[in-house]
Formats: sequence, structure tokens, C-alpha cells
Amino acid sequence: MRADRPRGWRLVGRYTVLGVVAAVVLFPIYAVLLQALKSGPDALDHPSSLLPTHLTLDTITTAWTDGNLGRMMLNSMLVSLLVTAGVMLTSLLSAYAFAFLRFPGRGVLFVFFVATMLVPAEVTVVINRRTADSLGWLNSYQGLVVPALASTFGMLLVRQMFLTLPKELHEAASLDGVGHLRFLWEVAAPLSRPTLGALGLFTFLGTWNAYLWPSQVITDEAHKTIQIGLEDLKTPGDISRFNLITGGLVIAALPIFVMLVLFQRQLVRGLTAGAVKG
Amino acid sequence: MRRSSRTPFLVVAAAGLFVAACSGGDSITDTGATNPPQTTTADGSTPVETLAPTTSVAPDTLPDCPTSALADAAGTVELTFWHGMTGPLGEELDSLAAAYNASQDAVKVNLISGSYEETYDKYLNSSQSSRPDMVQLPEYTVQGIVDTESVVPVGKCIDDAGFDLSHFLPVALGAYQTQGVQWSMPFNVSNPVLFFNKKVFEAAGLDPASPPQSLEDLRAYAQQIVDSGAAKYGIALDSGFDSGGGWYIEQWFAKAEEFYVDGDNGRTNRATKVLYDNDTGVELLTFLQDMINDGLAVNVGDNSGTGYDNLLKLADEQQPAAMTIATSASLGPVLDVLGSGQFPQITGDDVGVGPMPGPGGAPGALIGGASLWIVDKDDPVKAAAVWDFITFLVSAESQSEWAAATGYVPVRDDAADVEPYATTLANDPRFAVALAQLEASPEGLTSAGPVVGPLREMRSVLAVAVAAILDGADVKASLDDAAEQANNLIADYNARNS
Amino acid sequence: MKRRLRDVPPALAMLVPSMALLAVWTVYPLVMAFINGTKSCDSTGRRCNDVGWQQFSNVWQSREFQHALGVSLKLAAMTVPAGLILGVGLAVLADKHLRGIGFFRTAFSSTVATSVAVASLVWFVLLQPEIGVLSDLFHEWIPSLKQPGLLRDPGTALPAVALSSVWAGLGFTFIVITAGLQGIPRDLYESAYVDGAGSWRRFTNVTLPMLSPSILFITVVLTTRALQTYAEVSLLTGGGPNPEKSTTTIPYLIYGRNSVIQNNLGLKSAAAVLLFVISLVFAIVQFRGFEKRVQYAR
Repeated sequence: MRADRPRGWRLVGRYTVLGVVAAVVLFPIYAVLLQALKSGPDALDHPSSLLPTHLTLDTITTAWTDGNLGRMMLNSMLVSLLVTAGVMLTSLLSAYAFAFLRFPGRGVLFVFFVATMLVPAEVTVVINRRTADSLGWLNSYQGLVVPALASTFGMLLVRQMFLTLPKELHEAASLDGVGHLRFLWEVAAPLSRPTLGALGLFTFLGTWNAYLWPSQVITDEAHKTIQIGLEDLKTPGDISRFNLITGGLVIAALPIFVMLVLFQRQLVRGLTAGAVKG
Repeated sequence: MRRSSRTPFLVVAAAGLFVAACSGGDSITDTGATNPPQTTTADGSTPVETLAPTTSVAPDTLPDCPTSALADAAGTVELTFWHGMTGPLGEELDSLAAAYNASQDAVKVNLISGSYEETYDKYLNSSQSSRPDMVQLPEYTVQGIVDTESVVPVGKCIDDAGFDLSHFLPVALGAYQTQGVQWSMPFNVSNPVLFFNKKVFEAAGLDPASPPQSLEDLRAYAQQIVDSGAAKYGIALDSGFDSGGGWYIEQWFAKAEEFYVDGDNGRTNRATKVLYDNDTGVELLTFLQDMINDGLAVNVGDNSGTGYDNLLKLADEQQPAAMTIATSASLGPVLDVLGSGQFPQITGDDVGVGPMPGPGGAPGALIGGASLWIVDKDDPVKAAAVWDFITFLVSAESQSEWAAATGYVPVRDDAADVEPYATTLANDPRFAVALAQLEASPEGLTSAGPVVGPLREMRSVLAVAVAAILDGADVKASLDDAAEQANNLIADYNARNS
Repeated sequence: MKRRLRDVPPALAMLVPSMALLAVWTVYPLVMAFINGTKSCDSTGRRCNDVGWQQFSNVWQSREFQHALGVSLKLAAMTVPAGLILGVGLAVLADKHLRGIGFFRTAFSSTVATSVAVASLVWFVLLQPEIGVLSDLFHEWIPSLKQPGLLRDPGTALPAVALSSVWAGLGFTFIVITAGLQGIPRDLYESAYVDGAGSWRRFTNVTLPMLSPSILFITVVLTTRALQTYAEVSLLTGGGPNPEKSTTTIPYLIYGRNSVIQNNLGLKSAAAVLLFVISLVFAIVQFRGFEKRVQYAR
């Protein structure tokens, strides 16, 4: 398309706008990264603290060791992976039922699923903590993982994708006597790979960044995730640790950032796939 | 294709909700069956006076603490200990616990940390089996924990073991006592002190060796500082709920030897109402408001940003304050930070510490900080093991180490004779101010501070009123409003919990 | 008919895992919240008395709830349009076939890598009046960055929270809208171009209508998120500054560290249920309002 391909000054203008906007969006990240790469008086020596001078990894390594962040990163990683795998599985199954199967009460059930999406965590958290308590799941991985395993968002996303698959595909398969599970595994799921990829990424991001529920269900160091561990770095009344927060922030956001750089295109493509013929 | 506009919908919906909403008035805690309990006389008429519910504790019904039970334990007893020490304080507590674990093999303690608020809320919301064996909780939770009926009072252990309390600060023990029961063991004790910049004092012609003792002194000092141009403000005030907006007001009432709530500060009877809306309260807050109006003090707000906004005001380059009031527990960290030389306005050596100025120069203070509670696990061995660990934590040696590392006041006077704290005091008399202030506390229940179920919530309510007053609102009206809300909170709490 | 019944067992088997999880961790606590909203409980929430449904209207009418509702609605009014406009703007800006556009797309979606906690702490560090970078850079133009600090000024605290929130949500909005843009068939633009439509006309007549499903989705998500704002407030302002309580949102009124109903299960539940109902009303209004306008691509 010609309109999409500006030349000459318009091209320069476009890059300028893109560059300026990107700089504004990225500025907070840059400032914090820089703060984290300085230590001691340098970090507080304003306003020159915005220039990349006297860079050191001290703050980050101190945050890492003082905050016991290694263990927390592992916990976050484990929990995020388990939840991601689980959500993809439950979403595939329920999406299949809603997309391909006809049964009485389907509409009502569908509305039920969607309605649960609107229940704020603020409403459920007190009782859920008590449920986890009575199950003996406080301070445990099950307590972090199990309640997050069902996702209506995931079901909707996958169902949307399934609906774009030609109906004949499913009809032909069931005429050939192919079972539901086999069709799901061998046909529907592989065809929905981009969507599943996007779902996986979003679920991973969401779980990695979860704050409220982990803070309720976990108290001990052994099971703490990185998000709630970060707060320990922000000790009230202690100015000397102010800078450590930035080191912790960089560590917490880094894995996600790397993932984003690697998979950003897949994320968009996965979301587009289901939407095209919604 | 039509143009679609979406924001108007939001606005319309928002407006609709807003209009529907504009009818409120009562406080949220004023809802439901929360009126103070009404006693009716035999003939059906309402009595003239509503009596405070008398709930005197019968010590016989409280769980026992057979401290010798630890000898019966088969193998090492594992204890879980929830505490509120984070950051460097947490590391120091960790090292004390590690020393204890290494010193014997009858008991092994596992520590779990969170903020005070977090620990308190989790304790309340957990089932008894999910609760730890031992918990450290701040001073405002005493009545709340007593009402859960889930603890073994340390007093039972003290009696059973014949534990020697002669070196303990009475004001520290007294803070965790109601109706004759010693509920918990003080561990980390702090109280508010005056921090000031010695350099500014000198520039203003004031003697850094004699900081202001009374509120009148405070004002005179501030006046001289501002007049001389040594600093923009005399003092930085805040309205945080665990500092200037709540805790300090309790302190000032104790200094004035007045009760803050009825029932002798809730210590002989369950409290039913606050008393801070009296003349003492009005006078005190009018004094603070005048300081601000006259340009002698600056209001740094609710101090929630960093928790040390008022201290940072001493280091401000453009418009510094010369003094502020802060907890003694921040002395160590403050000296650490200033020692690194980040703030040209003030170095570690420039920091002076004096007692918190009070009405008429009255000495004394209430303790802040936290105490150690034994959770009732229906297991004498566990209770005895917790008691054993507590005796370790409050030994003169442990307290000396703890106080030297943190800036907290030791709970017993003989800790000052033991290293390393003895050297700390000798090298830096600033650490002695908080201890001396506590030891100077007048005798009596006014020096024990208020115990009342929703004390934390009451501080929030008062903090809003103090913030309004520092902003220039009418003192009496603001205090009356806060008192009314606080009384609602107490009535609601008592109705739900007794 | 026969077909419908034949599908029942497999459907059930496939739906049971999700349904069981949702029942235990979403529906049960929701029902309990309604029930607890009619009760008055002790601090441990285990010994309760019935006080009836009246409690919901009492909470609704209380000045604390009304105030928090106002704050939450103001926050939504700030973050939803701003988030939407910026998200669409960035997505349209980056929806070009240019060399190196991948870099810009990654930059624009980068805030998705920050959790609410991380984003709030980032802004907390930046806006710190004494040593924050933004305060140092811009205090000449905006004096309140230093005196008393954006987060401590009752007039600017809520906008500052909104700023952090919009920034944190930008990446997600950008990704969803970009996906929506890529789903628009290019021939629609071609024919509009042939019809002589300029770039603004093409934007309003093709892009916006075709984006409407994504915009609806984002609007609902952003509104819900705004109404449920807790962590930002907790980390940035603690509900203050006082006495205005300028940033005490409904969730912060319920769960904040200075909440007056912190250990009152009945009032907390009632307030939380009201929050749910408000979110629901907003979602329904938004869906209905959009229903006739949304262009689903065929």
C-alpha cells in the first residue's frame, strides 16, 4: 500500500515521532535501570544521576543477596510454568466443549464462565485464604498454583480460535470415528498454536506478576514469589536501602522483558489469529 | 460505517452512579447493630448511665504454662515464629535466633517475617492450627489479641518459673498488662525522641547540649531558629497514624499524666470511649497548629511515602527544618545513612537527640515497638519451648546485642552493663536518651498507654483529623469528629468481640 | 436431538476441571461474600451474628464508601480514556511497514513486563520529591514535584497514581490493539483510498469501526482494573494524602493498612460485594452501549 510507505522527509518525520514516543515510554525503565547500576552516593547525586557514569553491578548484586531473590525467582518460575501449563490444558478442554459440542444448557454455562471473569479478587480473597487454610495449603506451592488453574480468558481466546476452524473438519473427523480427545490433540490444538502461544505468554506474565493472592497465601521465605519479595526491600524508615528497590525491580522484570523481546511478534500474531474471523 | 464514541458512555454511567450515590453521611463503622450495649433496669426504663462492660479476667480460666514440660520433650521441638522485623532488623533477629538454635538442641526456631500489619492480620485470619507457636506483635494489638482467646499469657510462665523481673523496665512490662495479667513479653522497645541538627542550633545561637524539654521551649527554640535564618523551619511535623497523627498524641497524653481512653486506659475495665477531645487535646493540637500558622513548623503530610519524610526534611537543601520527632528505633539507620555523606545539609555527627518535648516539660514516654506472645497450641511442651526462647531473647546479653545493633531500647536496665551495648552508650550518648526518657516515666496507668480493641483503626481516624488540623481546620470540631468516629469504632468492636 | 445428548458425557468431562476450579475458588467465595455481608463478626471472622441485608445499604450510604467510590470513579475517568487513546495512538503509529518497526513495537509493549507492583515502585522512585529523578528534572516547571511532591499534594496525588497505572497498562493495550489492527483486511483501506479518503477519514471510517471489538474489550478491562486499583495506592500513597484521603479507592478502603474496617469481615464483605456489583454494572453498560456499534469482521 502506498499510503503505508512514506518517503523522504515524511519518513524522517515518522521515525522522529516513533523515536520520541519510544523514549518517553521507555524513560522510566531507563531511569530505574540506571539508578540500579549505580551505588552509594552516586545514585543519590542528583541531577547527574541521569548520566551513565560510574556504573556498577553492586546494587543489583546486593539486592540479589540481601533480598534472597534467587530463591524467589525460582519459586516464581516454577509457579508460573505450572500455572501456564495447567491453564492451557483446562482452556483447551473447556473451549473445545463450547466450540464443538452441542449439549443442553450450553448457553447458560457459557454465561456462567464469562460472569466469573468479572468477580474481583477483592471479593474472593478473604474466603479463598480461609479455604487454603483449611486445606493446609498456606505456604505451599499448591496454594499458589491450584486456584489459578482455570481461566475464562483462556477459554474465550481458544474458543474464538476454534470457531474459525472450518466446521467440516470436525464433522469429517467425527464421521471417521475420530474421538474428541484425539481430534483436540491432533487437529484442533496444532492448528491453534499461535493462539495457544499467546495464551501461554499472557498466563505466564500474569502469574509472574501476581501480587494479591501470593501475598495472602505465602508468609515463609521458602515459598515467596519475587513480586511479594520485592516489598521486603522497601523497608520503611530505612533510607539506606532506598536504592536496593531499584536493583530488585530490575531483577524482577528482567526475565519477562527478555521473553517479551523474544516473543513479542508471536504474542500479537496469536491474538490476531482468533480475531480475524471472530 | 458509523463513527462510534465510547467515552461518553463511561461519563454517563459514572455520572449516574455518582448521583445515585450522593446521599451518604454516616460513618461506615456506624452501621448495623453497633450501638453501645444498653442495660435496661428491672422496671424497663433506661438507666441514666451506660455502664462499661466489666470483663475482669479470671486468671484460673487462662491456659497454664508448665515451664518444666520442655524436659519431657521427645527430641527437638520445632517452633514457628512469626515476626515483624524486616530488612536489617530482620537480619539481626535471624542472627539472635541462629545463636539460640546453635546453643542447645532441645528447641529449634524457624522464623517467618512480614510487616507488623501483615502479621497481625494473618494471625487474626488464620485458624488456630495454622497460627504459629509464637508471634511478635506491636503495642497496639494487645486488646485485639487478648480477645482472640488464643494465647498463653507469659505471666503464667513467669509465675511458674519464678522468673526474675527485677531488672525489667516497669513501663515496658506495664504496656502489655491488663487487669493484672502479663499477657506478653516486651522485646523491642522504642519511643519517640527529638532529632535535631546541631549545626543549625549553633548557627541560631542555641546550645545543642540542651535541647528543648517543654513545648514552650520547643516554640521558643523554633522561633529563634527561624528569626536567625539558621533554617527555614523550626520543626517538621507529620500526621502519620503510627507517628504524629496517632502515636505521638498518645505520648503527649501520657506525659500530661492523663488517660487517653476510659476504663483507666482500658487497663482495669474494657475501654468504651476516647478522652482526647478534652482541653488537653485541644490545647496540644492548637499549639501544633499555631506553630505551623506562625511559620515555625512545616507539615510533611502523612509520612506514608517513605516513612521518614520528616527526617528527610532535616536534610532538605532548599527549605530544611531544624528538628523533628521520630522513633528512637530510627537512630541507628539515620546515622548510617548520614554517615555516608550523601546529604551536605547534615552529617551523622550533626544529629542531636533529645527527649520528646512535652506539656510543661513533663518527662516520660510510652513504649512503642512490639512484644512476644505464646500461642496456645494446647501443648505444654510447645509453650515451654517458646518460653525458653523468650528467656533467651530478653536476657541481658541478647538485649545488649539487639539494642546496640538496632537502636531499640533494651527491656532491662542491666543490658547497659553488658557488651556491646555498654560501649555503644559510652561512645554515643545519643543512644541513651530514649532509655532515660522511659525510666523517667511517672508511675501509674497513664504511663502504660491505652489498650483498646481497634487502636490501630482509631489511630487512622485521628490521623485524618490531625492532618486536617495541621492544614488549618478547626481544632475542637476536628477532634470531636474524630472522637465520635473512634467511639463508634470502640462500640462496634466491643459489640462484635465480647 | 440425539446428537445433543450424545455430546453430554464428553462435554461434561471436558468442562469439569474448569467448572470445579471456578466453583471452589470463584463462585463459593462470591456466595460467601454475599452471606458474610449480612453478618457482624469478631476480628477473627469466625464468630458471627446476623444483621441482615440492611448492612449493604448502610455501607453504600456511609461517607467512607461514598468517598472511595468517588475516588475510584475519578480514577477510572482518568485512566480509561487516557489508556485507550494512548494505546490506540501507539498501535496506529507502529502499524507501519518500516525498517526496524519491531524495535518500536517491543518498546511500546515493554510495560507489559512490569507488574503493578514493579510499575508502582518505579514511579515511587521517580517521583520521590527529595531524590527522585523526575522531581529533579522538572521541578522548575512543576514546583509541586518538590514542594510537597506530586504524591503528597492532594490535588495531584490521584493523577500521579493514574499516570503510573496508565503507563503500566500501556503495553497490554498496545498489544491487543495491534493485534486488532492486524486483523483488519487491507482491502478495506485500499477501497477507502480509491474513494479518495484522506488518512484521517481512513482512520475514522475504517480503522476505528473495525477496531471496535478490541476497543470494547480494552475498555472493559481498563475500567475493571481502575475500579480494582489497590497495589498502586498501597505502594505510592497509602491512600493519602490526608485529610482529603485523595487516593483511597474502594479496594484500599477495604484492605489498606489504615483501613477502619480491616478486621471487620461483615463490613469488608459488604463493601467488596458492592464493588463487584459496580464493576458488573459498568461492564453491562459498556457491552450494551457498544452492542449496536461494534463491527464484527466477517
